[in-house]
Amino acid sequence: MKFRKMFFGIFVLLMAGFFCVSAVQAAEPYNLGVALGFTGTGTLYSKDQMEGIQVAVDEINAKGGFMGKYPVKVFQQDTQTKPDVGVRTVKDLILRDKVRAVINDYSSAVAVAVKPICREYKVIHIAAISNSENITKINYSPYTFQVVPNSYMQAKAASYAVAQLAKKKGWKEYVTLASDYEWGRSTQEEVVTDLKRVAPFLKVKKELWPKLGETQFASFVTSIMSMKPDFVYACLASKDNVTFTEQAKPYGFFDKIPYVGSMQSVTELITEAKTMPRGLVAISRAPFFAHMDVPMMANFVKNYRAKYKGKYPSDWAVMGYDAVYALKQGVEKAGSIDNDKVKDAMKGLSVDLTRGKLQFRPIDNQLRCSSYVGIVRDDPKYPFPILAELIEIKAADSERPEAEIVAARQAEKK
Amino acid sequence: MEFTFLFSQFMSGLTYGLMLFLVASGLSLIFGVMNILNFAHATLWLIGAYICFTFWSLMEAYQFALWVSIPLAALATAAFGWVCEVVLIKRIYKRELHEQLLITYAMALIFGDLIKIIWGPTDRLIVRPSIIQKPLHLFGAPIDSYFIFVILIGFAVAVGLWWFLKYTKYGHIVKAAVFSREMVGALGIPIPKIYTWVFTLGIFIAGLAGGVQSAIGSVTLGMDTNIIIQAFCVVVIGGFGSLMGTLVGSLIVGEVFSFAILYWPDGAMVLIFVITAAILIIRPWGLFGTPLRA
Repeated sequence: MKFRKMFFGIFVLLMAGFFCVSAVQAAEPYNLGVALGFTGTGTLYSKDQMEGIQVAVDEINAKGGFMGKYPVKVFQQDTQTKPDVGVRTVKDLILRDKVRAVINDYSSAVAVAVKPICREYKVIHIAAISNSENITKINYSPYTFQVVPNSYMQAKAASYAVAQLAKKKGWKEYVTLASDYEWGRSTQEEVVTDLKRVAPFLKVKKELWPKLGETQFASFVTSIMSMKPDFVYACLASKDNVTFTEQAKPYGFFDKIPYVGSMQSVTELITEAKTMPRGLVAISRAPFFAHMDVPMMANFVKNYRAKYKGKYPSDWAVMGYDAVYALKQGVEKAGSIDNDKVKDAMKGLSVDLTRGKLQFRPIDNQLRCSSYVGIVRDDPKYPFPILAELIEIKAADSERPEAEIVAARQAEKK
Repeated sequence: MEFTFLFSQFMSGLTYGLMLFLVASGLSLIFGVMNILNFAHATLWLIGAYICFTFWSLMEAYQFALWVSIPLAALATAAFGWVCEVVLIKRIYKRELHEQLLITYAMALIFGDLIKIIWGPTDRLIVRPSIIQKPLHLFGAPIDSYFIFVILIGFAVAVGLWWFLKYTKYGHIVKAAVFSREMVGALGIPIPKIYTWVFTLGIFIAGLAGGVQSAIGSVTLGMDTNIIIQAFCVVVIGGFGSLMGTLVGSLIVGEVFSFAILYWPDGAMVLIFVITAAILIIRPWGLFGTPLRA
């Protein structure tokens, strides 16, 4: 009898233990979808972004997950940087993997296509590196958030920074070099108009319009050099920009004339460390070296380098990391993983990120983050050039006025 | 305007012109002899550039990689051209001009996709050997040191073709075929064979030009569509089938473009088309062509 009681007691204890363990094991995970262009034109940036996301997830899960009790489980999908594939994969993530949030994409076209899907299924959508302002400006979705400085912010930031550099260096005249097609013409016009506003003392000396896909830039190079402008503002399509850079380099062009207008993220600074001309005035979205004084950034760089064999995180990795932490703080503010509560909590939320304390702007869920402009220069601290004389252009100086967003949305309804 | 800058602009125009000559000379030769208006010529030039990149990447570690890759690219492109002639071009000799244009245009599209399949959509960049990475100063004007090589190759091809046409037996046959292929055939010379080798020679020069171009900037898809229009302008100005005409036409286009960038950038391309149109109206057979061929 005594033996039977003892056996029963052990059985009860074992069962209780089993159920306790099961209860712990069954702690509901937070399913996080990551739909990025792992193939196609966005491969390099997407891979870096995924690494940033993974470091954030590892750190958060080491502390028990979101709110310390919802471990984050990542479901990764390849959008091939194509809108149709993006829509299909995000639907798969939502319906099959039951993700609560999706981080996507390198391509703004994919992010724009995915936005209505996330809205329909009430899933949080974070555009971490795609920066068309239309992702948040028009066709507004309360579920979509953007943690990258958008296209408008970047354009304004460039003008703002050029004005500052012009004042500092005494620049008076400049030449514009823009691809002769719709984007090149409209961007050049915007830049010239904007520079007239922020730096009225600057004069356009000459406007040059190489055709789209120009293969022979030598005449443009020598022509600009003969004009001796204080700087060149380039609005060249990406391939043309590479061709121009390659053809201008052998003339010592970049040693003589500051060249403004290209985007150089940490990815380019690392991969083109040997060939990139020093002296380029470049814009960047989230370079880690701009915020090494923020403990969160220093910690991220340390953990990232430890995980990826000493590699430095690119802008895309930084923004991927920030996307996860912004979501984490949204969940914590909501006190729940319920998507509607999280989306409401994130609206206007101030979040602590690697780039400092930043706020999601209530009108469009755009993170009020900075853009960065600097001069490509070697730095003994790093095995690649960085952006020196860095100018951080805060959101207040670069974001689109709210009234314009309201007007754009009203125009959209008509 | 300082002399040094004018000289620098002149040298840019000269290089540009000679690059155009390298592309247009093959085009002109093929049309002059075979009466084939090869719209795919620039795409074969682009294939030459991609092949050069492939050879270069295999020997990347060596300083001589580029210098070896350029002739290899020319030979490989010529081999491809030979296959094209035997398989496709041979069948369209007797077709109407518009049909030839459509077929060669289709070839350009097919070859464009072939490039995408083989090399992918990513831009390809050749890192130049250190010896030609720094500018050279001539009369105080900065010149891309690689352009000296481009100028030398351009003139070497011009002299080589001139020598071939003027002093060799095959050159005489080719020249005769420009004026009357029937008479050449009547003399028992195998015209189809001559056509095959002329086409191969034209594509060899295109491949060589592609190899030379590959170290000027990145090699990208779509480069061919831009240059083919300018190559046609060159042969129209100079006269189809005329080597001297092609050289002069190339230099006119190169220099007009270069100096227009300096003084009237908005009109740089327009000027070239205005000259082309004027030549077509006033002298349809071009500056150095002959009315017989027109």
